[in-house]
Amino acid sequence: MKIAVAGKGGAGKTTVSGTVARALARAGHSVLALDADANPMLGVSLGVGPQQTELLLGVRQGVEAGEIEHEPTVEGMVERFGADAPDGVRLVVANRIETENPGCQCCGVSPDQLLRELEDGGRTVICDLEAGLGTVLRLAPGNADVVLVVANPTAKALEVARRAVAIADDKTEVIVLANRVRDEADLDAIRAVIPDRELIVIPEDATIASADRDGVAPIDLDPYSPGVKALVALADRLAGSPVPA
Amino acid sequence: MVGKGGAGKSVISGTMARVLARDGNRVLALDSDLLPGLSMSLGAGSDPTQPPLREAAEKDEDGRWRLKKGIGPVRAVKRYATDAPDGIRLLQCGKTPLEGMEPIMGSVNAFYRVVHRLAGARAFADWALVGDLPAGPRQVAFGWAPYADIFVAVVQPTAQSALAARRVARVARMREGARAVFVANRVTGPADVRHVEELVGESVLAAVPADEGVARAERLGIAPLDHAPASPAVAEIERLVAALAGS
Repeated sequence: MKIAVAGKGGAGKTTVSGTVARALARAGHSVLALDADANPMLGVSLGVGPQQTELLLGVRQGVEAGEIEHEPTVEGMVERFGADAPDGVRLVVANRIETENPGCQCCGVSPDQLLRELEDGGRTVICDLEAGLGTVLRLAPGNADVVLVVANPTAKALEVARRAVAIADDKTEVIVLANRVRDEADLDAIRAVIPDRELIVIPEDATIASADRDGVAPIDLDPYSPGVKALVALADRLAGSPVPA
Repeated sequence: MVGKGGAGKSVISGTMARVLARDGNRVLALDSDLLPGLSMSLGAGSDPTQPPLREAAEKDEDGRWRLKKGIGPVRAVKRYATDAPDGIRLLQCGKTPLEGMEPIMGSVNAFYRVVHRLAGARAFADWALVGDLPAGPRQVAFGWAPYADIFVAVVQPTAQSALAARRVARVARMREGARAVFVANRVTGPADVRHVEELVGESVLAAVPADEGVARAERLGIAPLDHAPASPAVAEIERLVAALAGS
């Protein structure tokens, strides 16, 4: 199965990706976490730590530096440049922009290409997309079996989520996450912009806020906090089988 | 204004533009984010469905976008910028439409060309230019804000926000003559400010407090300056404007 996670910056894409990846891995699934953001952060939410996340080499940079020869397969790239995250999750950073004029981003290995060409092959690929709608627009049917659109109860995040849903709906299954919901009024605000859809509610959660502050994985801080529990339940549903406690 | 998504770039740039305009400056707000944000925070409502700048662009014989003849930065701003409160002019590159990028490519290309000529345009020498960049390092790396003397990296007191701000400030400082400063946002007290300063490795120029008035404005999609003009967050952004002007 291939899962892509979309939304406005700061909506909670990385928290969702990292926590769902860990929950799937804990339930015994083989998980490849693909960080498709040129500002890669997925390592932090997976529990690798900010310092280590900063040291991860992007596949694009690795290939450019000539660390792989003879046009390797994407599997070869993942093998070579992936890193191990807790619970056996394999983490791959597609690309990082760290200098001025970093070269044409259409040429060379791209996050889109990795997502497109990686076979799920019995494992789950979960891809944390770059903020915005460009990545969702470029998503072709078959690149992802499901797109998780992360919404927040703010006008800007909702506008982005509404558009992401409209774009992705034609291509694949879409699940909308109502993240950081404090009360019924927040949920109503989301329903008003994205009506007639099931919303997976991820409540506002002090554990997740605290994990964000310290740069640790929410699931390591408290796997039973309301927000983390909702994400574990989502992983369970995506996997189609109950996740053992 | 640069930083991680959700750090508060639009809120701070929109409010800063309003404060500068109320102080008597002529202000050009530059919105190169393909996602909605700045217009709401300026108090100019939602974005136009068609980016006005698309009228400024045409394709040459080889199919490449260029500015139409006779359209320089002054004319582009005069004709294609829209009005925002307090006399601000707002120039946008366009917002990602549902049907793909094609309808806005002319506008995006025109925007990129116009901003590259703004810094050299004498007509704007005494204007304040406030740019709201999209999340992450991409536009800074590719020179989308050549007009900027100072890149303001907005940081929330979280590890990821600080990591993003450090990365983008590092890239910004590679640009000749550009400075980068850090501004903490949504801090709940001195411990948060210290946390941000430890994470980014230097002191912040301002620390905008977490503010219920701003949070409400964000839920409603309106300008903090209109919704909560007397809020502590707006007061700190006023202080930030003064600090930047004096620096």
